[in-house]
Amino acid sequence: MLKFLKQVGDYAKEAVQAGRYIGQGLAVTFDHMRRRPITVQYPYERLIPSERFRGRIHFEFDKCIACEVCVRVCPINLPVVDWEFDKVSKKKKLKHYSIDFGVCIFCGNCVEYCPTNCLSMTEEYDICTYDRHELNYDSVALGRLPYKVTNDPMVTPLRELVYLPQGVMEPHDLPADAPRPGSFPEDLVQKANS
Amino acid sequence: MNSGIDLQGNFIKSLMDLGLPSDLAKAIWMPVPMILMIVAATVGVLTSVWLERKISAAAQQRIGPEYIGPLGLLAPVADGLKLVFKEDVVPAKADRLLFTLGPIIVTIPVFLSYLIVPFGQNLVITNIGIGVFLWIALSSVAPIGLLMSGYASNNKYSLLGGLRAAAQSISYEVPLALAVLAIAMMSNSLSTIDIVEQQSGYGILGWNIWRQPVGFILFWIAALAECERLPFDLPEAEEELVAGYQTEYSGMKFALFYLSSYVNLVLSALLVSVLYLGGWDFPIPIDTLAHWLGISPANPVLQMIAACLGIIMTVLKAYLLVFLAILLRWTVPRVRIDQLLDLGWKFLLPVGLVNLLLTAALKLAFPVAFGG
Repeated sequence: MLKFLKQVGDYAKEAVQAGRYIGQGLAVTFDHMRRRPITVQYPYERLIPSERFRGRIHFEFDKCIACEVCVRVCPINLPVVDWEFDKVSKKKKLKHYSIDFGVCIFCGNCVEYCPTNCLSMTEEYDICTYDRHELNYDSVALGRLPYKVTNDPMVTPLRELVYLPQGVMEPHDLPADAPRPGSFPEDLVQKANS
Repeated sequence: MNSGIDLQGNFIKSLMDLGLPSDLAKAIWMPVPMILMIVAATVGVLTSVWLERKISAAAQQRIGPEYIGPLGLLAPVADGLKLVFKEDVVPAKADRLLFTLGPIIVTIPVFLSYLIVPFGQNLVITNIGIGVFLWIALSSVAPIGLLMSGYASNNKYSLLGGLRAAAQSISYEVPLALAVLAIAMMSNSLSTIDIVEQQSGYGILGWNIWRQPVGFILFWIAALAECERLPFDLPEAEEELVAGYQTEYSGMKFALFYLSSYVNLVLSALLVSVLYLGGWDFPIPIDTLAHWLGISPANPVLQMIAACLGIIMTVLKAYLLVFLAILLRWTVPRVRIDQLLDLGWKFLLPVGLVNLLLTAALKLAFPVAFGG
């Protein structure tokens, strides 16, 4: 009989415990309701891409020497370099250049190895089309620069979490000159010199 | 205790004053509360869908619907419109008749249960003697519809979902009925009006939740399980069963399931507020308040205000419970089917029985406080 009562008591205790845990959980969810949403209201607000952001590739036609290094370092030999040997100047003359961003993985190898720096990474990440073939950018499309988020009057630029000052979690209403955590290499050099 | 406003009497009387015969006036009155209640239930559903989306968003630090109407208020309307205009697909190998009948059988009893929900002394469609029992009886019709639609879909997931829904509804009806039984024992009546009446008079202190705390929790858990709300949403567990018995449904038939699930939630919340939280009762008794302010209880303005306050209180209490249900949804993980049945049969049922016996004993021991 005593054993049975003990069992009942233990069971009741466990039930109360479970109820308390649920109460704790409810307190957590309830607390979340008064926190500010962390979402970025995309078309109206946008995150400023980080400095090393690897977005759509930019290409400068006049700098290219048609060496095809980009094709060789590309994991899938993606860039199409169409050139012709010009017998008069004894140089390769570039006719067309294109990259298909529907296939590109944005690894940045071509940018890394380009001997004349005619390839570079932009901040553009929202390349959207109704047809995948439109993602195949020719040299003209590749030469266009994206509009900077910070200059767009329609968009509220928001800093990414890493670029917020230490201890700040809220990118809204942040003064433009708020310092980011850590120091730049030049600052470190200056500090070491002084 | 004043009797509140007699809407029916006044309506019929004013029609008769216009020169209509009394039978015609009564016939005109009849559909009015029914239509009003259906509209109220639908608006209640739209509100709770909107609340669900907004509160879910807030609990996850999102914003939720924002641009569809002010504060996204029209989002549920847009949902509804979308579902109305969608193609109504019946799977090729499905049983056409049962497939169509399923959602109807699920929806009708839920709406029918609104018959007994009182918003005030006279603001109820019918004050029938069996009251809450009607609701319990009607809610056990729903699993038939669920099983029917699960079986008729000719889909393994649907069948599993339907079976689970039936098992869940049947096993949680028992503790639900036990909790209601304890209340009925205390108020010596099954009529919802009498139950609220018995709680009123002492304001917040008179509410059944203080005399039936265990019953309240029991009833709420069982009601959540009956509504298939999240800790117990096994029949439509999307990770396991796609969408349970709703898998093959689309368009208006799916909308009926959707509608009935939310109507059921609001209904359960309303019934909890009626059974345990004093229904239309204001936390401070209106008569006492009127006495303090020196107004006679027969004052028509006071009666008007009291009636409005009654509706507001009932709805407010119900929506507080809906809010709790939504919060619970984002707090508690889904239970397994065996855990669900264990909880129902091995925990809620014995606790309900003990609660019932305890209530009976207390009723014998303290007939003053426990409605002897």
